[in-house]
Amino acid sequence: MRVQFVDAVARELSNDARSVFLTGDLGFNALEGLQNQLGPRFLNVGVAEQNMMGVAAGMALTGLRPWAYSIAPFATYRCLEQIRNDICLHQLPVRVVGNGGGYTYGIMGSTHHALEDLGALKPLPNMHLYFPCSNNHVAAAVRQMADLADPAYLRLAISGFADDRPALSEHPTTLTRRYAERPGARSRGLTIVAAGHAAQIVNRMSKPTEDAEIDIFGIARFPLDLGLDRDLRESVRATRRVLFVEEHYASGGIGESFAAAVAADVDAFSVMSAEYRKGQRYGSAAFHLNQSGLTPETVTNAARAMLG
Amino acid sequence: MTDSSTIFAELRRDALAIRKMLLAMHYRAKSGHIGTGLSSIDILALLHKVWLGEDDAFLLSKGHGASALYATLHHYGRISDEEIATYYQDGTLFPAHPAPRAVPAIVAATGSLGHGLSIAAGIAYARKHVHEQTTRVAALLSDGECNEGSVWEAAAFASHHGLSNLLVVVDANGLQGFGTTREVLDMEPFADKWRAFGFATHEIDGHDFEQLHAATRELDPQRPTCIIARTRKGNGVGFMEGKLEWHYLPMTEAQYRDALRSLDGESS
Repeated sequence: MRVQFVDAVARELSNDARSVFLTGDLGFNALEGLQNQLGPRFLNVGVAEQNMMGVAAGMALTGLRPWAYSIAPFATYRCLEQIRNDICLHQLPVRVVGNGGGYTYGIMGSTHHALEDLGALKPLPNMHLYFPCSNNHVAAAVRQMADLADPAYLRLAISGFADDRPALSEHPTTLTRRYAERPGARSRGLTIVAAGHAAQIVNRMSKPTEDAEIDIFGIARFPLDLGLDRDLRESVRATRRVLFVEEHYASGGIGESFAAAVAADVDAFSVMSAEYRKGQRYGSAAFHLNQSGLTPETVTNAARAMLG
Repeated sequence: MTDSSTIFAELRRDALAIRKMLLAMHYRAKSGHIGTGLSSIDILALLHKVWLGEDDAFLLSKGHGASALYATLHHYGRISDEEIATYYQDGTLFPAHPAPRAVPAIVAATGSLGHGLSIAAGIAYARKHVHEQTTRVAALLSDGECNEGSVWEAAAFASHHGLSNLLVVVDANGLQGFGTTREVLDMEPFADKWRAFGFATHEIDGHDFEQLHAATRELDPQRPTCIIARTRKGNGVGFMEGKLEWHYLPMTEAQYRDALRSLDGESS
């Protein structure tokens, strides 16, 4: 998603002289073009994420609209208080960008995984979270973030089970995608909802039963706005069963919030999420997803069990 | 000479009035953080009366000194009588640490230490290198605050980018939350640290308006400036000076009366 992000943000930056781009010393082989394009509006602040967020806040106080980029865990946990106090409490248009959501940086080890990033930022006042489902979903998120007057976070990721299946539809505001639709209008079935790039796992699942009736959605934005996502809401009300999949720990994840939002409409709700394991070993993103039981096969099995 | 001595006499009168206002606010509110306010009032008065231009910005990075900032802004007409009367009360915009944009003169909410210098540096960078303005930014830090690593991230940044429009003043009162700065985490040689980070650095008596004025009058044209202002916690109130407990304690009625007498004694 990084390539698509750089292309999209370069367009925004060239259209808006108030935009500035900050990086915490990351971007080799990716941000050089932006650096050349922007002059003093591109700033490598060094390996100093706390300062980067404070500086971004200060710039925003002068009317600028900063993007602040780092690896997802460094852009969030290290400087959480700066994001909360300096940016969110002042409702400043600072766009935090974390590359490597979920297990993207698998073999780099646990310090580089971002499995609590959305949970850490979700409760912050005025904060908007964006977690695109695939590469071709990034530009729309960047476009929307560029226009926001509020703080926002963009979670870029590479899936361990890459699948860029085209969506059947995409909501222009919520960016929610519909990937599969139940045949006909029969009510019995299952609504599968994936947060962000977990959609790519779900899209590789098999048909759980011969007569499976499955809706598949990918959501990409928090706060949830199910008032706008009418198709998704209708699906949940019709099937009354939701399987939610996310590459994030369950606690603090988007699934929790989704469950609360649809509680009155469902009889069964199940979350498949990343799992912390004591003494865990390390490998690729796909390796970690396998360890967490987040694979196309496990999703298929979970769907089959829920369809019962 | 006459002009500047008049200014200094006015500043002394202003600072006394601000100290009295601060004591009244804390007595009414039964609130703490008196000592840290008293140590910074001379710096705040000098900056707000003399140094800060209309478009300059001031960041109170040592947010626990908020009452001193409120009293100073009130004295110079930036906070109304009605507003200052709400200090520390339910429904106020003036809590114990500055709230976001309570009044235009309060640029940012502070209170967690180690944030203000980064914000100030961001403003200074944007103004100098992006907006190409000549306005300036001042940040007031505490010496204990400089335990925070983020202060030094911001210092390195400010120096690297030649933020000559940035003035850092450290209210070095030598006392922090649970001991003296020497005992808790000795940052000496403190001025050398700021010099090593690339700041034009002055070390002065933070209660001497002539020294404060001289150190702040002209900023270094190439580098950010840091003033280590050596102060006394509780300055002006004899029984509070240099006493750790006045970082925290509110005053009894008798202590409030004693404190006012002490201030008047010093000014006579």
